Amino acid sequence: MKKYIVPVLVLLSLVSVSCSSDDDGMSEEKLEGTGEVSLTFDNGFGGNDLVLNTANTANANGEVLTISRFNYIVSNFRLVTKDGEEFTFAKDNSYFIINQEAGEETVELPEIPAGEYTTVKFGIGVDQEKFQQGAEGQGDFLAQAEANNMMWSWQAGYKFLNFEGTFTSETVTEAENFKVHMGSHGSSLDNYKEVSIELPTNIKVSNEMDSNIHLKIDASKILISSTSNIKFSEQAVIMVDEVKSPQIAVNVTEMFTVDHVHNGSGHN
Amino acid sequence: MKIILMMRVLQSIKLFVVVIFLASTTYSFANDIPFKNNPKPCLNYKLGYYDFCDTCGCGSSGGSMGFGTGLNNNFFGLRYISQEYRSRDGIFADSPWITENFNTIQAWGNIPVSKRATINVILPYQFHNRQFVDNTEQTINGLGDISILGMYNLLKKTPDSIISIKPEHYIQLGGGVKMPTGKYDSSNNTGSVNPSFQLGNGSWDYILAINYGFNYRNWGVSTLINYTIKTENPKKYHFGNQFNYGVNIFKSYYISDFSLTPIVGIAGEVYETNKEFNLEVANTKGDIFLGKVSLEASYNKYSLGILGMLPISQNLNSGRVELKNRISVYLNVNL
Repeated sequence: MKKYIVPVLVLLSLVSVSCSSDDDGMSEEKLEGTGEVSLTFDNGFGGNDLVLNTANTANANGEVLTISRFNYIVSNFRLVTKDGEEFTFAKDNSYFIINQEAGEETVELPEIPAGEYTTVKFGIGVDQEKFQQGAEGQGDFLAQAEANNMMWSWQAGYKFLNFEGTFTSETVTEAENFKVHMGSHGSSLDNYKEVSIELPTNIKVSNEMDSNIHLKIDASKILISSTSNIKFSEQAVIMVDEVKSPQIAVNVTEMFTVDHVHNGSGHN
Repeated sequence: MKIILMMRVLQSIKLFVVVIFLASTTYSFANDIPFKNNPKPCLNYKLGYYDFCDTCGCGSSGGSMGFGTGLNNNFFGLRYISQEYRSRDGIFADSPWITENFNTIQAWGNIPVSKRATINVILPYQFHNRQFVDNTEQTINGLGDISILGMYNLLKKTPDSIISIKPEHYIQLGGGVKMPTGKYDSSNNTGSVNPSFQLGNGSWDYILAINYGFNYRNWGVSTLINYTIKTENPKKYHFGNQFNYGVNIFKSYYISDFSLTPIVGIAGEVYETNKEFNLEVANTKGDIFLGKVSLEASYNKYSLGILGMLPISQNLNSGRVELKNRISVYLNVNL
C-alpha cells in the first residue's frame, strides 16, 4: 500500500491545484465600453461560391448564369440586444457597397456599445429619407456610389443592386448578356427594403471584444425566391421596370443568411 | 522478486516526479511564449472560418485509441501518431479542401504502482502542418498537453503461480488530468481555416476512464470508455467535452521468445459543442466511428506495434472537416 501513496498524493494535489486555477475569470464578466462589429458578406450562388466570370450551376429554370458584376448597397445597420433594445448605428455613416469585383465584402461598425446582441437589421439600398436630403446630404457616399457603378444619375438615383453577366438556357444556347439594375428610381418608385436576421449565436461586444457576423449570400435568389420567379430567357435586361424591379427588390431580401458568428476576436 | 518489484516501483515514482516537474515548469511558460511561426492572417484566399472538434486533444492523449495499447499490460515506450484531416477553406459547398497533418510523438507509459493500481502518463511532442490553397504552408511544433491518469483494478488478479483455465477479467476505474502544457495560440483562431490547429487546447481538462476486458487462453478482449471534461482556457475558449469508446479483440501467437498479436477493433469519438466567451460556436460538435487494425510483435520484453484506423462514418463540424486516416507506431518495453 505504502508504495503508491506518494504518487497518489502528488496526483491528488495536482488535481486540487488545477481545480482552483480555473476559478478566476469564470464568473460572468461585465461588458464595458464599446467594440467593433463587422459583417462579412460572403457571396455565393445556390450554395456554391460565387466566382465572377465562371459559369454557375444551372438554376431551377435551367438557366446557367455567368456573373461578371455583383454589387449591392447595404445600409442603416441596427443591432438588437438580448433585452430587446435596438441600437442604431449613426445614419450618416451607415451606407456601404458590397462589390464582388473589387473584393469589398466587409462592413465595419465601430463604437458599438458593449452588450450582447441577438439580431442584426439592415436595409438594401438607400432609403427615401436619405435621398430627400439632396445631393449634398449624401456626403462622400455619392462619389463612392458613382465609382462603384451604383448610380444612374442624380435624378434617377442609386442602383441598389448591379447584377450583370451572361446566361444560357434551353432556348438561349448562345450566351446572351443580362443586366439587372434595381433601385428606387428617384422618389417615384421606392424599392428600399429592410431585413432582420436573428443570429444563430449571440455576439458580445466590449472594450476587449470585437465580433464578426459572417453572412452567406445566395445570389440565385435574385431571380428565384419564395415570392417570384424571373426568367432571363423572357427578359434579360431589367432596369426601370415597374413590375420586375419591385419583385427583385423583394427577392434580394431573401439572399441573406448568417452562416456563423465569430465572438471576441473580430475577423481580421 | 519482491526487491525487483520495489525497484520498479521506485523507478516509476522517480519518473513520475520528473514528469510532474517537467509539466509544471513547461506549463508556466506554455501560454506566454511568443509564437514563432506566426500564422499568416488573411491571405488572398477566400476566408472561411469555423472551429474544429478538439482533435489536438485527441492527438495528445490518444482519444479513442485509449491510453494503452489495447492489450492489458504495463509498459513504457514511445508512440508516434499521424492523423490526416481535410477541412473546407470556406463556407460553401464547393469551397476547396485543405489538408492538415497532425503528428505526435509520445513518451508514454502504463506503470504499476501496486498490484492493482497503475499510473498512465502521456508526454506528447507535436508537429503539425497544413497547406493552404495558395500553396503556402504553416507548421507548428512543440510540447503538447501532458496527461496523467491513475487506474485501479477492481478485480483481484489471479496469482501467477495459479494457472487458470477460466477467463481472467479486469475492470479498471480511473481518472486524471490533461494539463495545458501545449501552446494554445488564439491567433490561430482568427483568419485561419481550423483553429484547432494547436499544440494544446490551453485548458485544464479532467479525464474519467473505465477499462474492461478479459483474457482467455490466447484470446483477449479489451474495451474502453473515457470522458474528458474540458474547461475554459485563459483565452476564453472552451472546447467541448469529449466521449471516447473502443472495443478490441486480439489473439497472441507464440513462437519461442517471439509473439505476434493481431488486434482488430472499433472505436468512436463524440465531441460536444465548443464555446467562446461562454457562447456556443456553430458547427463545432461532431462524431466519428472508426475501424482499427493493429499488430504487435514482441520479443522478450520489447514490443513493436503498428496500428491503422480508418473512419467508417463521420460527421465532424457539419461535414466541413473530415478525418482521412490515423496511423500509429510504438516501441515499448513491457514491465
